[in-house]
Amino acid sequence: MLPENITSVVARNETWTGKAASEPHEAGWAREAVIFVRALKDPKGSQPMARVEISPDGMRWIAEGAEAAMPSVRDGIAVMRVAHFGNWLRVAADFDDGCESTVLVTIHLKA
Amino acid sequence: MTTSPTPNEMAEALRLAILRADPKLSRFDPLPRIISHDEFANGHCGWSQLVGNYQDDLDTMLPGYAQHTGAMLSTLGHWDSGSHGGMGSSYALKIATRPHKGAQNVAIKRHTFRHRGRIRFEVYFTFKPEASELKLSETDVRSIGFLFDLQAGDNDKGAERVMPHLRFLNALDGKHVEKWQFKQQGTSFRPVGDGDKTLSHYHLSPDGWEDLPGGDQRLCYNEIATKVNWTYLRFDFDLGAMEALDFQCNDRVFDMSKFGSMRMPAMKNLWCMLNFCLFAETDTDKRAFLYVDSVCISGDF
Repeated sequence: MLPENITSVVARNETWTGKAASEPHEAGWAREAVIFVRALKDPKGSQPMARVEISPDGMRWIAEGAEAAMPSVRDGIAVMRVAHFGNWLRVAADFDDGCESTVLVTIHLKA
Repeated sequence: MTTSPTPNEMAEALRLAILRADPKLSRFDPLPRIISHDEFANGHCGWSQLVGNYQDDLDTMLPGYAQHTGAMLSTLGHWDSGSHGGMGSSYALKIATRPHKGAQNVAIKRHTFRHRGRIRFEVYFTFKPEASELKLSETDVRSIGFLFDLQAGDNDKGAERVMPHLRFLNALDGKHVEKWQFKQQGTSFRPVGDGDKTLSHYHLSPDGWEDLPGGDQRLCYNEIATKVNWTYLRFDFDLGAMEALDFQCNDRVFDMSKFGSMRMPAMKNLWCMLNFCLFAETDTDKRAFLYVDSVCISGDF
């Protein structure tokens, strides 16, 4: 049997401002994750770093260490790779006032 | 005088004996053909995110659909007690809403049919709110439910698209309601984008739900937010008459004579459609989780 391999869209056409994050995603079955953040529209203002966060319970979050600059142009893509993340994953970014990005966030998981 | 069983009776007895000796299938009562049997240690088994229709721009998607996210493979991991696990493996399908009162999420499995006869949808499920408070939280999940999205074949006379909906209204505005409801009142289709090729309607809007007669039922919620028990559900539908036949949840079998489905003229690209949806809805600013241990879809053909 081939190993499990799933693409999950965790944020689609969501406009991120302020303290933004994708919804919690359970993926304890996966050994690795590649996460893409694509800007669907022209980002506004300065763009922060996006970071991968992990969690003991899906409710409390801590930075995993992987991060990437949010895309600065429409259709730009940021990518982060993680392993050893336990059960929960999400992507977070902190935007300054007046700054935003409309994103498509996809998580690609592999057993 | 005794009569010998007919070949058909012997075949049925043999089929049941084989089913009941199989620990994975014995908990179901499938009709003769198993169309799919989903256990989520085997992956998502085709239960994908219900994405809304759009044209040219994702902004054309109706808000009801825009909120949807993908279902997950979950061990029901809890902060106080660890992974709960499923009935026969560590994994269940998890359909999670966002943490906003009234938020919904839907998972869908898309098939087509080859015979317009009886089908059976069997599920072991449970639901819980996110355990973000040290409270019972039994009224935090508004509803969980399922629907079919069906359309007759392209050669069928008077072909319709038919959508039976059933939900367990657990709570509404903090009141513990606990009853089954159906929905036959449709919503109007709207074109999405500039053209007329793509239409959309949000059929899970809060309005138009009707009580299933005799549909009050108290389920096993358990005593804290992180203890769960699996519940059995069975729904039989006739793809020929496009009518509901039978509905059971645990030890209760409900009268479906007053049940009605949404009906609308057939659409041009949906012939023989056989879609199954499972959904969850939250009644508070807290995520609602519908967990599905396993699903068995079968047909009489």
